Amino acid sequence: MNHNNKKKKSKNEQQEFDFCEVCRLNHNNGRRHNFFPSHKNALSSLLARFQSKLSDVKFFLKTPMLTLPEHAHQNRLWCVFCNCDVPELDSQFACSNAVGHLASEEHWKRVKEFMWKYGGGMDRVDLFRIAEADYAKWEKKCKSLKGEAAKTQSVGTLNDIHNKHNTEFANSSCNNNFDVLNSCIPNYVVPLHSYTNERAPLPSSVLSSSVSETGPSLHNIPGGSHVQDANYLKNSTGYVDNQHFPNSLARECSLYGDASNGSVYSGVRAGLVNLTHISSTSKVALEGNVHTGAPPPWLDGTKGDNLDPAWKPESRNPVSSIEGKSKLNPKRVGAAWAERRKVELEMERRGERVNNNFDANWLPNFGRVWQSGTRKESRKQFQIENDAIREQDNHLEALMPIQPYISKRMRKDATHDTVNKS
Amino acid sequence: MEYLLPTLRKKQEVDSLIRDTLDKVLVLRFGLSSDAVCLQLDDVLYKSAKDVSKFATVALADAAAEEIQVYLKYFDITYVPSIVFFFNAHHMKMDSGSADHTKWVGTFHKKQDFVDVVEAIYRAAMKGKLIVNCPLPPERIPKFQLLYKDV
Repeated sequence: MNHNNKKKKSKNEQQEFDFCEVCRLNHNNGRRHNFFPSHKNALSSLLARFQSKLSDVKFFLKTPMLTLPEHAHQNRLWCVFCNCDVPELDSQFACSNAVGHLASEEHWKRVKEFMWKYGGGMDRVDLFRIAEADYAKWEKKCKSLKGEAAKTQSVGTLNDIHNKHNTEFANSSCNNNFDVLNSCIPNYVVPLHSYTNERAPLPSSVLSSSVSETGPSLHNIPGGSHVQDANYLKNSTGYVDNQHFPNSLARECSLYGDASNGSVYSGVRAGLVNLTHISSTSKVALEGNVHTGAPPPWLDGTKGDNLDPAWKPESRNPVSSIEGKSKLNPKRVGAAWAERRKVELEMERRGERVNNNFDANWLPNFGRVWQSGTRKESRKQFQIENDAIREQDNHLEALMPIQPYISKRMRKDATHDTVNKS
Repeated sequence: MEYLLPTLRKKQEVDSLIRDTLDKVLVLRFGLSSDAVCLQLDDVLYKSAKDVSKFATVALADAAAEEIQVYLKYFDITYVPSIVFFFNAHHMKMDSGSADHTKWVGTFHKKQDFVDVVEAIYRAAMKGKLIVNCPLPPERIPKFQLLYKDV
């Protein structure tokens, strides 16, 4: 009996602290922790997030695409189960490193361990890995792609890739119209296809279905980033700038106007600049901007008012201050005194009222120890006592002028002398 | 400790401080700078002053000063250190198990005790109560004997 009790005790109290990766929390609940609702929530959200990232990778598993080295870095993946980063450094195909990682044995092991440790459900392990069969298929497709790419090498690798993309995308689920010109884009600056003021509004319905454009296309080349961009655009609405072409072009784009009209930003990931245009209306040009040296809009016309609060934060109108303070409980102790005092202080600060020298004998409202009755009475009582004491002191002093002591004999002698003398 | 917390030696200073501390608890300690217990309390006060600064102000009044004597009489302060609490120029009482609810006599065992006491006072004051129960357990409250008129 005792042994069992001891065991139970030791389980609860002496459980060692363990770190839960999912909740990012140290706990000593042992295996029970997995069944706590907070843990379950955290786990489901974690797995859902990772699942969405994996879905991108799985897209490329089905349809491998060639990718430019400079765009490949966007496809890096953080593997939650292995706690490692899977960068796409030398990959020729989109997400190839990620695919390789997910198909590996060690990753599968770690997924199983993770699920067992944190209670994710062992039936879902296969969702987070890539089976050997799929991996083999993917490799075959990659090889065939490579072969084709090698065959059609004529102008330059970039151009071919663009062409490749064109044909592939036509077949792929995303119906993207690649600009023919894009295939001829070398790695340097290219003339604009459209004026910088033009905008191609993308209604959300269009975005949600597939990324189809009505004008010059947005991001193009990197097939790898394309899907992510599509996903990104699916999540964002608003204006997409046409001038976000790849390469250095996009880097030169600048934002015009200010955000006063509140148009939404959407990032166009052409692998370069994530900025969107805000509609620059002619109004802005007239009013001026930072570059022309015009004052900022919040200072226009409200200059005077805005400066004061900065300097005198407390000396606002009594009305506004009262409104602000009304949040304080009006039934709080000394509320009336506080309000009155605040008004007085403010007036003093403004200089309207000179410091009123309150009575030197002022005493705060104090409830005395051995006292019954209200506090005002205690003050009065004290003052009475005080006066009595003072009077007493004065009285005593008046009565007794201080004199040196003369003994009776001395006094007798003195009188005797005077009598004798006279 | 005078250089760390505002120390008051004149009645007018004390008055103006009481009158001008609005919507914050005023912790007014009466003590002597030569007393060991006072110094320990001052240390606690100084260290916690910043933590409670949003809802309390701490000040020290020198019990040896001339002008402060009237306050010592008014507040019936015989033991030092004593802390009197004010809120909006009203005196706040606290029932800490002793006979004297009007002030806190003695020091605090921990900074947290002090903060708890001030918080209790603040909460009560905000609700409109002039007297509040002490949140500390009796073993952490310093004990003393109350004299009545020098008896």
